[in-house]
Amino acid sequence: MNSRKTTIGVLSALSLSALMLTACSSGGSAAPADGGAPTGTLNFYTDKAAWEPDFKALNASSEPGVNITLNTTGYSDANQYDAFVKQSFRTSKSPGLFSWHTGDSLKKLVDENLVAETSDIWKKAIDEGWVSKDLERYYTFDGKQYCVPMNIAYWVMYYNKPIFEKNGIEVPTTWSELDAAATKLKAAGTTPYYQTSTLFTFQWFQQLVAGTDPALYKGLSTGDVKYTDPKIVAIMNEWLDEQKKGWFSDAGSTTDPAVGLKQGDFAMINFGSFFGGSLDAAGMKSGTDYGFFVIPAKNESLTQTPVAVETGPLCIAENSKQKDLGLAYAEWWMSPEAQTAWGDARGDVPFNPKAKVKDQALAELGQNVASSDYQLVERYFEATPTPILTVALEQFGAFNANPGDPMPFLQKIQDEADKYWAAQG
Amino acid sequence: MSALAKRTTPYLWSARGFIAPGVIIVAVLLYLPLLWTTYLSFTAYDGLGDPQWVGLANYAEMFDDPDFLGSLGNTLLWVVGTLVIPVGLGLALALLTWNLPGGVWLRLPFLIPYAISGIGVGLIWSFILSSNGALDQALGFFGVDETPRWLVDAPLNTVVMIVAASWQGIGVNALLFTIGLNSIPKEPLEAARLDGATGGRLFGSILWPMLRPLTTVVIGLSIVASLKTFDIVLGMTKGGPGRASETLALTMYKETFVNSQYGLGSAIAVFLTVVTMVASILYLRQQLSKKNEI
Repeated sequence: MNSRKTTIGVLSALSLSALMLTACSSGGSAAPADGGAPTGTLNFYTDKAAWEPDFKALNASSEPGVNITLNTTGYSDANQYDAFVKQSFRTSKSPGLFSWHTGDSLKKLVDENLVAETSDIWKKAIDEGWVSKDLERYYTFDGKQYCVPMNIAYWVMYYNKPIFEKNGIEVPTTWSELDAAATKLKAAGTTPYYQTSTLFTFQWFQQLVAGTDPALYKGLSTGDVKYTDPKIVAIMNEWLDEQKKGWFSDAGSTTDPAVGLKQGDFAMINFGSFFGGSLDAAGMKSGTDYGFFVIPAKNESLTQTPVAVETGPLCIAENSKQKDLGLAYAEWWMSPEAQTAWGDARGDVPFNPKAKVKDQALAELGQNVASSDYQLVERYFEATPTPILTVALEQFGAFNANPGDPMPFLQKIQDEADKYWAAQG
Repeated sequence: MSALAKRTTPYLWSARGFIAPGVIIVAVLLYLPLLWTTYLSFTAYDGLGDPQWVGLANYAEMFDDPDFLGSLGNTLLWVVGTLVIPVGLGLALALLTWNLPGGVWLRLPFLIPYAISGIGVGLIWSFILSSNGALDQALGFFGVDETPRWLVDAPLNTVVMIVAASWQGIGVNALLFTIGLNSIPKEPLEAARLDGATGGRLFGSILWPMLRPLTTVVIGLSIVASLKTFDIVLGMTKGGPGRASETLALTMYKETFVNSQYGLGSAIAVFLTVVTMVASILYLRQQLSKKNEI
């Protein structure tokens, strides 16, 4: 009797333990592979939580187009998302499709053989004229392509149209005109430019360096140019002069930048071409309340105007159970049909020149920057290795908050850069 | 084997079976991550591939980094600040409202912010303290145009964040002290009053020594909570500008999840754990030995 009780006790306790562990480890099962055409529901993960409705809206086109439904999970915290994706590669649940970053972050995944090759998809897309050859280099490692572009954004200057009109300012076409506009605005009591002290702290540095010397800008990302280089110091001192003139908004303000532009806290903001969506959401109307222009090169002798371009990839995990589904979706994603639908949903510039764009200004931007008058340069965020980027974002933020001698800020970034490049051998 | 042992063994197995779920959960969710974090702190690991053993390199890098030392300084400021403001004012509030008719209604409003998460407190206070925020606008209304840059200039930003955290913490400390005051036996209090002790004398000679068990708990919890300050700083300044207002917990988070330096982040986590444990043990040991002296 006693022994029976003991056995029942031990068994119940062990069953309970097993149940609890099962509950902890269970994460749902993957869709069964039928061995046929890759159709079904594709689990898609992204750190662009705000874009979730846009991806869902795309199902109306993808279901008849490729017979794949996207089941989107959006993360609103980018760091949490990155950690989730990295950990997922160690499990059987690595995503069939996920958004990532180009540059150093993508290189690391490729080096570890974690993402599926997409060379065939790229070849077809380039042959069909669905994507420019220029874009391919951001996705190419050792001659092979990985992932496909999720989006493309050009870093331009958004401006408050009524403020420009009130002050009789035309869209600047040269750096001197831009400087003159800033001077005029400041004299009229309007702060010319937006700035912040967290995250988006790099764009004016990017603009000043790339607009002065694109090769110098490129050299920073490869380690060939030091942040303490006299040319970089001189550029920073020009930025400091602009700071002293009071051309930048309060770096400590937490007002939404779209709201800030709307209410005239500042007249211009240097942002990616996706910013139009935020301005629309803030109640501004493109063409009436706001416009944008490509920022003229600081160095007016440059034959091509450098424009920072940002492209974020859609990747497929190499060991994912949904790899075939992910690759089929990626191929469809490149098509004009998909990019027209995406442009409609997001209101962004599609990377596919054959896609139809509703917003005329965006369509013109896409065509203009593709011409020989412009030179695309990789956005600082992707061009810079992550450890250096983190320090640089902090230091530019500190500089914006307390503008002063640029050397201590640059030295801190260079210290991190020295450490990084030394570790690369 | 004795008859007693024969009877006891099945009982023991049964008992072990019943405690197994708890032991497994504690081992898997607490001990295993602790051991894994300690192991990672001796490696170079970016979250991909396999960790590479680097010995004490992460610890050397940590102590060599002026930003880490700045973060340590900020954390110490948090420890001192949260002892002085939320604990001190909590005690004052409890004393002032104790035995006061309707005192509970005076304490209650201080307790409400405790229901808000740290991130929520951070968002509310950043709305108030950001440049041209609610406070600046209110001061502007009274003609004060030159206001400090509350969240931009260090160490002012850390000080105002401690004030924000105090806004949340005073109420619960006052509640704990009130419980302590109510649990003091009436007899020694009445005896002291008969002997003519009032005000500061009554507090210093009777209330404070008799509150010591509870003060030990409140201060102990406060030290641990301030050492791991994270959410309110993330919500208000994200540790900036630059790294001027970072705390150790935020530095650990940034190195691990922003910089993908899991090894260095783990080394900071281990350091923070050791500091918290040592501080708690030293403090409790000292307080408990004092208790024995009473």
